[in-house]
Amino acid sequence: MRTDDRTTATAAIQEAAQDHGLQDGATVRKKTSELREVIRHLVRNRAAVIGLVIIGGFVFTSVFAPLFATHEPLRTELGNRLQPPSREHLLGTDELGRDLFSRMLYGGRISLNIGVISVLIGVMIGVPIGAISGYFGGRLDILTQRFIDIMIAFPGILLAIVVVTVLGVGVENVMIATGIASIPIYARLVRGSVLAIKEQSYVAAAYAAGLGDGRIIFRQILPNCLAPIIVQSTFQIATSILWAAGLGFLGLGAQAPTPEWGAILSNGRAYIRTAHHLTTYPGLAILLMVLGFNLVGDGLRDALDPKTR
Amino acid sequence: MTESAAAGAPVLEVKQLRKYFPIRTGVLSRISGYVRAVDGVTFDIRPGETFALVGESGCGKSTTGRTILRLTGATDGEVHYNGEDVLAASGDRMRRLRKAMQIVFQDPYSALNPRMTVGTAIREILQVHGVASGPQARERVEELLVRCGLEAYHSWRYPHEFSGGQRQRVVIARALALDPQFIVADEPISALDVSIQSQIINLLEDLQDTYQLTYLFISHDLSVVRHMADRVGVMYLGKLVEVAEKREFYREPLHPYSQALLSAIPVSDPAIRKTRIILKGDVPSPANPPAGCPFHTRCPVAMEVCRSVVPELKPTTGGRQVACHLVHPVS
Repeated sequence: MRTDDRTTATAAIQEAAQDHGLQDGATVRKKTSELREVIRHLVRNRAAVIGLVIIGGFVFTSVFAPLFATHEPLRTELGNRLQPPSREHLLGTDELGRDLFSRMLYGGRISLNIGVISVLIGVMIGVPIGAISGYFGGRLDILTQRFIDIMIAFPGILLAIVVVTVLGVGVENVMIATGIASIPIYARLVRGSVLAIKEQSYVAAAYAAGLGDGRIIFRQILPNCLAPIIVQSTFQIATSILWAAGLGFLGLGAQAPTPEWGAILSNGRAYIRTAHHLTTYPGLAILLMVLGFNLVGDGLRDALDPKTR
Repeated sequence: MTESAAAGAPVLEVKQLRKYFPIRTGVLSRISGYVRAVDGVTFDIRPGETFALVGESGCGKSTTGRTILRLTGATDGEVHYNGEDVLAASGDRMRRLRKAMQIVFQDPYSALNPRMTVGTAIREILQVHGVASGPQARERVEELLVRCGLEAYHSWRYPHEFSGGQRQRVVIARALALDPQFIVADEPISALDVSIQSQIINLLEDLQDTYQLTYLFISHDLSVVRHMADRVGVMYLGKLVEVAEKREFYREPLHPYSQALLSAIPVSDPAIRKTRIILKGDVPSPANPPAGCPFHTRCPVAMEVCRSVVPELKPTTGGRQVACHLVHPVS
């Protein structure tokens, strides 16, 4: 009986091996099948595609800003102040006669930079904090989480304002400030995922095999928390851009004459009755970019979750 | 007795092992009690044998296995592996012990990291212990997979590309990577299809013959245990109630709980009339175990003394051990 089982089993395995053998060359392709699946679902989601197009458009115009710009973004032309949109100045001019369209193009670079870099800062600091806190637990976890509670108790923008006030104004400091303000969000998110994943048997197996804590956290646990981190990051880019614009509006962000969208909006405020294009277009640009990232974030969340596919 | 004498010193000695999980209640999470998952378990495992730990779910058999490997910290007790104190070992000595003692998990679906090819996962273990690296490690991984009934190219695959049975083969290959002598098999087949179960059992037996492995085989399936085990330990509510050679155990179980368990195995011949002992009631909560014998609340032959005096696990004839007042009357 047992030998029978064994022979049929080996036969079945050999058969299966032959099946697989035919596609053996496809192993490399199979590796990316997860990524393919995600992309397939993302492309099927209309809202996410719109978001991708918006982001793609902004990235393209930002990267090639010098090609699209019709004027020098910093050159003033006082004889040409507060012109409404025209053929010469596509989106009009500001109070110093600078071409708004060109300034907006360069401003896109700054906003995207702030969004991406501040998220990188938040991820690089927040993820390890959350991972260590969740993995080791105990007193360390309690201390970390209470500290995170304190940080979360402040609204993000307020936290960013505090940090900018301490560090001083400027684009770099805005990136650092919004980055720091997003740390607690990542720390919380990752801690939750780590708590769930560390109960999986493969983590116990790694421990039983004598792998170190660092290896277990970074090789076994964190790669499995990637999906929520990616989704959160797309939302967080949008939030950071918004915070940066807010700081710019308050005069705490980019300083004149840097063409940052929030700052342009803030300057245009004084002329809102006579030259509304100075507030309308930067406002629309911020709205569109944030919307783009949010749409993609929503789509990614669904595409990365095997249950909603 | 003769067999144990012939087998020499035990590989694994477990003495009065206890694992209590605290129950926390209230806002301040004060400890209000303990779940006594493992409550003073003592047994030996001899080299090359399969010691089966049986009992119904929640009786603490898995926790016993995990505590022996220090996957969860023990509350009290001792575990000696070849004379070395496992629970007190640290640093290098623990790393050496980890090489010698491995585990195979129940659910092969959660036992493999979904983001790692099985090759990477096994290679990592080899590298960390400095057993092999580079092409040598790759070769060793392929050898292990082939030994466990898979193919060399499977090392490039991710866990989701395997069936349940194949995954369990990968889990076994991983457990074998460091050349262990002792393996805790924690219900290795209960998550698999019946058709696959026998294959995995055959593989485990095969490997035992080849590498002289010693198994702690945790299971609730008494037919599989009958096939696999050399000796059987029956657990109830965190305590061992009977330890016996397999043949003796299946021929004549001494503890009333063992008798009830064995009477529940279906018999293939309808002509054989069996009296099934149907236990009444549920297993008492391990957070609040009954006084006296833990089994007295459901025991069909309970006596007055069982309600107050805890029976000790004591040897009887034929190298057997039983914890029951019927076998060892209280004087």
